[in-house]
Amino acid sequence: MQIVCISGGGSNRTKALADRTAHKLGYQSLNREQLVEEAVKEGIQVSKLETATIKPQIFSERLALEREYYRAFMTLFLGKQATEKGTVYDGRSGHLLFSGIDHVLKVRVVEDETSRVKEVMQQLNIDGKKARRYLNDVDADRNKWTRSMYSVSLEDAAHYDVMLNLGHMSVENAAAALSAIAQLPDFQVTPASQRSIEDLMLGANARVLLARDERTFRANVKVRADRGILTVTYLPQDAEIAEIIPEVIASLAGVREISVTMATTNILWIGEAFEANSETFHQVVEIATKWNAAIELLQFVPQEADGQEETLSADEVTSLSQRPDFVRECIGGIEEEGEVVCDDGGYQETQEALARLGCAGGGRRIVGGAAQIVKSIDRTVTYSLIVIGNMFLAKGHSAQMRMTRQLQGHLRDQLKDPVVNAEDLKSQYLFGRQDLLILLGCLGLFSLVLFLIFIFQEPVLKFLSGVEVKAKVLAAVTVFIFVPGIAFLYGNVARSVMKLIRME
Amino acid sequence: MHTVLGNMFISLNFSTAIQVSLLGFIGGVLSGFIGSGGAFFMTPGMMNLGVTGVVAVGSNITHKFGKAMVGSKQHGKLGNVDRRLGICLILASFVGIQIAVWINSRLFKGGGDGHGAGGSAAADLYISMVFICILSFVAVSMLRDALKSRGPDGDQGPSMKISNFLARLYLPPYISFPVSDIRISLWVLSAVGLATGYLAGTIGVGGFIGVPSMIYVFGVPTAVATGTELYLAMFMGAFGALNYAFQGFVDIRLTVLLYTGSLLGIFVGVYGTKVVKEVLIRIVTGAVILLCVLSRGIAVPMYLHKIGWVTMDPKWDVYFNTASKFLLFAAGTSGMLIILFHVIRAYRQRRRIERSLRDIEKMEPSAPVSLNVSEAN
Repeated sequence: MQIVCISGGGSNRTKALADRTAHKLGYQSLNREQLVEEAVKEGIQVSKLETATIKPQIFSERLALEREYYRAFMTLFLGKQATEKGTVYDGRSGHLLFSGIDHVLKVRVVEDETSRVKEVMQQLNIDGKKARRYLNDVDADRNKWTRSMYSVSLEDAAHYDVMLNLGHMSVENAAAALSAIAQLPDFQVTPASQRSIEDLMLGANARVLLARDERTFRANVKVRADRGILTVTYLPQDAEIAEIIPEVIASLAGVREISVTMATTNILWIGEAFEANSETFHQVVEIATKWNAAIELLQFVPQEADGQEETLSADEVTSLSQRPDFVRECIGGIEEEGEVVCDDGGYQETQEALARLGCAGGGRRIVGGAAQIVKSIDRTVTYSLIVIGNMFLAKGHSAQMRMTRQLQGHLRDQLKDPVVNAEDLKSQYLFGRQDLLILLGCLGLFSLVLFLIFIFQEPVLKFLSGVEVKAKVLAAVTVFIFVPGIAFLYGNVARSVMKLIRME
Repeated sequence: MHTVLGNMFISLNFSTAIQVSLLGFIGGVLSGFIGSGGAFFMTPGMMNLGVTGVVAVGSNITHKFGKAMVGSKQHGKLGNVDRRLGICLILASFVGIQIAVWINSRLFKGGGDGHGAGGSAAADLYISMVFICILSFVAVSMLRDALKSRGPDGDQGPSMKISNFLARLYLPPYISFPVSDIRISLWVLSAVGLATGYLAGTIGVGGFIGVPSMIYVFGVPTAVATGTELYLAMFMGAFGALNYAFQGFVDIRLTVLLYTGSLLGIFVGVYGTKVVKEVLIRIVTGAVILLCVLSRGIAVPMYLHKIGWVTMDPKWDVYFNTASKFLLFAAGTSGMLIILFHVIRAYRQRRRIERSLRDIEKMEPSAPVSLNVSEAN
């Protein structure tokens, strides 16, 4: 069923809007307080999370796990509610729980400050100045919460489908507009969007189970689901729980495969086509092995018209039903086996090769334009690297290069993670001839400087401890210029050596 | 220890050079692992090798300048530097550094002992006392946090007393910092900048105040606090280096030798943070700092004797210096060995996995053992 997520300023008018919209659509209305109550019943320390995010605090390791638990629980609870009946949710960041799910209508509600101040004055019986300061603090706290929980700004319009200004329309009319928008074809459930939300809930369910189990609740794990394939990544320090993870989550309904991968971080590899024996493949794997990273594939199927998600073909459905289910686990990074798509530009073959090499981190396919790529990337996941592989294959070489560069720039602007073209992988992240030259050159120069300093120790020290003002100034300026240079030289040597032994 | 140019600089032979480089490596490993500058180990370490306190601080702050420049560049690429906050803190920290350099040079030139390790015992005593007071507090807080997190309630997170107290105060004017997403009173900002600069200038460990202050008092995200501190350290290091070099207290040989070890050590330390649990990081850090403080404490009677505040047989100086030196190296070396143990173990494990995966790759794709989900139920 459909979900309408309304994110407002927590005022009575926003609550009324949620209720009226739910009434008009025949949906149930839920608010944040109800969900928080359920989370507290579940045993999640919501108040501690609130305090830690809105006060000047750092997240301890334990609280960071609690945050994951909370997010997964909220996604699962709200998703389950919506499975039974269409739901209108009034809460600060519901739209971010279902980021990328097309049939979830994400609404931002803003109000004019004067009416908000008036409401607070009446509610708390305080003067206008205090009410204004109170509202500023509340807004700042809500922003901090969202930033801490989802790493995005609450004000970022890119995360919403609709923005409503209640200062310019009545609650009733706003509810009418929202219910009309909710009935547009763009926000109806499609097989693809249904599959996406099922995957999201499956992942959330698995994460909740892992948080509930006393053997795994202290482990820092990330769970991702794709067409029933659960990919769980854990940190090297939690290696002892690797064998327990499948036991904990295997009972979940809808799980076809479970892969458990040891990974400190993630690399996203975007491409139209993948090749398991290509140079790019080996380079990405080499970097992933070096960084203890899981490689997530994002296959892009370009479409000139308005982007739309792919749907399962009849072949795929047959393929799904015939697949033998299994769990495979390997300490050091292993994941799933096989895939469901038939002629898929090397996607399945690459996934299998990555699984054999122990660095697969799941994957998905998207259909549409460059905007769809950005939309499909989970902003709450941090990627150490985003690699753009073979893209825009239908275009000529020059157009392909230009469009890849444009996409690279677009992704850099939209995401905070480093984005690199496959052609630049070697020069930027792997030890090559250029690095060898840098290493030898810098080492040679540094050794020469060191040799000269020690051969001429006394003159150097005399120069540095001059007594006249002119000599003192000269000494200070020399140190100021010389030291960064020597640090740069030896810094390059150290970095190249670490790159050579694959430990940077 | 032989000295050159009066009693200002030590004479450097191959053995001493290796020891300084080793100091740099251990300091670098600890620095990469802990996230501080490593001066808490390198400054007293050089003093134990006979370098006067003021030259040890001057050479180390100069070393910090170049190192912070390299580190800040890397953090800048990742967007972890709040330049606006850094610049505001720099202005206040320059005043702090200036005060520190002035006090150190006055004590160095005004005091004097004329024997033993050379240099001003008064300056050495002053540097040691500041070192002991500040780092005892840091180490005890860190160990308390770590031990608390091992209790039945788990990690409760750091204390909020300071932030709550400051939140209750209304101290206009306030400045907004969009990168860190915070608003800070100018007065609090100035106080933190002054303290950071003073400590950087006195003992070369500004990061021990700067990073926690930014996290606990300002509410800056941890990654941004580290990046901004390095940005700040670059300017403070430059300013400190200029000042100390102008006074003639920078031994460039020591600075270069420290680089040979520290820049390699940092990479090893950072790698260690990826393979060691947070609670162990805090315990190792707290214990190493506490032992460094003890080491400096052992050297204090020597300085007290040199300035004539305590009567003691001069022969005892050797024992105090040796004990202090031994404890410092034991602290640093054991900390480094724990980190290296984890790093090497993880590195070997990774190589083993790579080898097994290469073997798997050579096998038929159908060979791996699989477990059916339903069987696992």
